Amino acid sequence: MKNNSSPLLSLLPVLLVIGLLALLPALGLTNRTLSLAISAGINIVALYGLAVLFGQTGILSMGHAALVGIGAYVAAILARDAGIGFWVALPLGSVLAAVAAAVVGIPSLRVSGHHFVIMTFAFGQLLSIVLTNGGDFTGAATGLDLQLPVTLFGHRVDDLLPYYLIVVAFVAVSAVASWAIIHSSYGRTLRAIRENEKLAASLGINVGRHKIGAFMVSGLFAGVSGVLLAYFYRHISPGQFAAFPSIYLALMVMIGGARLLLGPLAGGILVSFLPEMLNLDPVESRIVYGVCLIAVILLLPNGLIAGVLQGLQTVSRKLSGVPAGRASTEARNPSRAGQ
Amino acid sequence: MDTAILIQQVLNGLSIASVITLIAVGVTLIFGLTGIINFAHGEFLMIGSFATWIVVQAGFGFVPALVIAVLAVAAMGFALERGLFRFTLTRPTNGFIVSLGLIVVLQHVVIFFYGPNQKSIPRPLSAVWDVGGVRIASVRVMVILVTIAVVAATFVMITRSRYGRALRAAVEDRDTAALMGIPVRRYITGVFVLGSALAGLGGALLIALFPVTPFTGGTMVMKGFAVALMGGLGNLTGAVVAGLILGIVEGFSAGYGFSEWTDAYSFGLMILVLLVRPNGLFGGTSGPKMA
Repeated sequence: MKNNSSPLLSLLPVLLVIGLLALLPALGLTNRTLSLAISAGINIVALYGLAVLFGQTGILSMGHAALVGIGAYVAAILARDAGIGFWVALPLGSVLAAVAAAVVGIPSLRVSGHHFVIMTFAFGQLLSIVLTNGGDFTGAATGLDLQLPVTLFGHRVDDLLPYYLIVVAFVAVSAVASWAIIHSSYGRTLRAIRENEKLAASLGINVGRHKIGAFMVSGLFAGVSGVLLAYFYRHISPGQFAAFPSIYLALMVMIGGARLLLGPLAGGILVSFLPEMLNLDPVESRIVYGVCLIAVILLLPNGLIAGVLQGLQTVSRKLSGVPAGRASTEARNPSRAGQ
Repeated sequence: MDTAILIQQVLNGLSIASVITLIAVGVTLIFGLTGIINFAHGEFLMIGSFATWIVVQAGFGFVPALVIAVLAVAAMGFALERGLFRFTLTRPTNGFIVSLGLIVVLQHVVIFFYGPNQKSIPRPLSAVWDVGGVRIASVRVMVILVTIAVVAATFVMITRSRYGRALRAAVEDRDTAALMGIPVRRYITGVFVLGSALAGLGGALLIALFPVTPFTGGTMVMKGFAVALMGGLGNLTGAVVAGLILGIVEGFSAGYGFSEWTDAYSFGLMILVLLVRPNGLFGGTSGPKMA
């Protein structure tokens, strides 16, 4: 974080982008683009949660789609068995996802590094196996349908356009929430844990509690994203929440950059729309996506946005004649992502 | 429970666990020396299977197909180590992420050329022996025996040969080993290629047992990592023992009619083991020491 800018200033570009996104349908988007945008938005909500965990706290989770799945299944099961709709499912789904996230987080107190990352994978896979073997309750491998409409003040809002606006609103709320976390003392505590766990502990920070806390926060985001997803697709199945969707979420957040507020937004939008813009079929687009990811990691280890900012900084410093030595320390400073 | 069926199921479990152990041994060796967590190792295996399938389709026998699969995947490992992983050696997390990207690329390149459907070859050994009421498919025995032989050879090489000693010295202390004249960089490539070759072999053996799809690598690598972590990452003995345990557990569970949970055991076992012993059953390394 730069010291000379007020924290509010860092929120502005994000809100500006989200505001523009909300106006996008005025250009007359096709239904296909609109539904792509909705699913991108739903992903971005989850990505903001993942960024709190990875970008701020420094814990990489590869089972995040499972938490999204919990939100989605809570929504679908509540709607089926109790007739409970969107707005009540939303808090319930996200709280349950947060509880599940806490459970996933518990091993992080004992197991660290690569071991833990692989463990989060295992949790994700276990959940999808449980969902597949859950019989009628979880709809087994075929999954569940969702028939309830989404209503707001007595009006149905599940057409593409109103649902798009709702998703954009949730993206805005997620961005503001994660901005608030980053700039609070809580955010500083999490970053202290990320930079040096032992030092943080010796300063009196309860590292374990805050790690689990960070998991629960990211779980809340994931749960919201899951409920949004269930009501958007109207059919959910275990495969949507298994290992590969988790990998894609983690990769999206890394492509965008996990530490900056714009990162999740950029990652989610880029990954969803790049193949569309390049006019690639799904298989080709996955190949391009993987190659881009590898290139980004090797060339811009902090993600695209951080890389671009860094580049701009270097250029502006060169132009204003600051000696290169200072510029490069500044540029290298944030480049220890994920160590 | 009929003992004969139980023995049969345990044998089945062990034959699949053999392939998983081959992955785990590769993963563990590569991690021990290089610190690379290669999640795309499962895709290496899958490509081994597809290479076997291609060669068998072309009218050759299983044995030449197996040899070509091993060589092809080893060559691919060489190229990827020199071309990609080399640049991430000082930042292992980046190597890990690169391997995730590689999963996506390799999987979809295979789908691009050969489609997403499953491929199978005729069983290289079709005989089924009847030993006191236990029906044993010879192909499964072949898979288990080949694995034992290859893993044993690897083990002897690591513990007994000069090359293995140098390798272990490089794991202990990379810089000192380099000063003693061990070409550490070349050894890193060597181990990566060896691990890849094991994955290629695993792939050839797997397609002898089951049809394989471009997505098979994903499940197999997760189990491979589960086994490697259970035994202790970087620990060869641990990988073998954990693989054995998994095979027996899967066999018993299938024997008692819980086969739909088969995929869950490796993950459940791993989580349990790591909660009790965070470094695995036999203790692992945390990767090479880099001063």
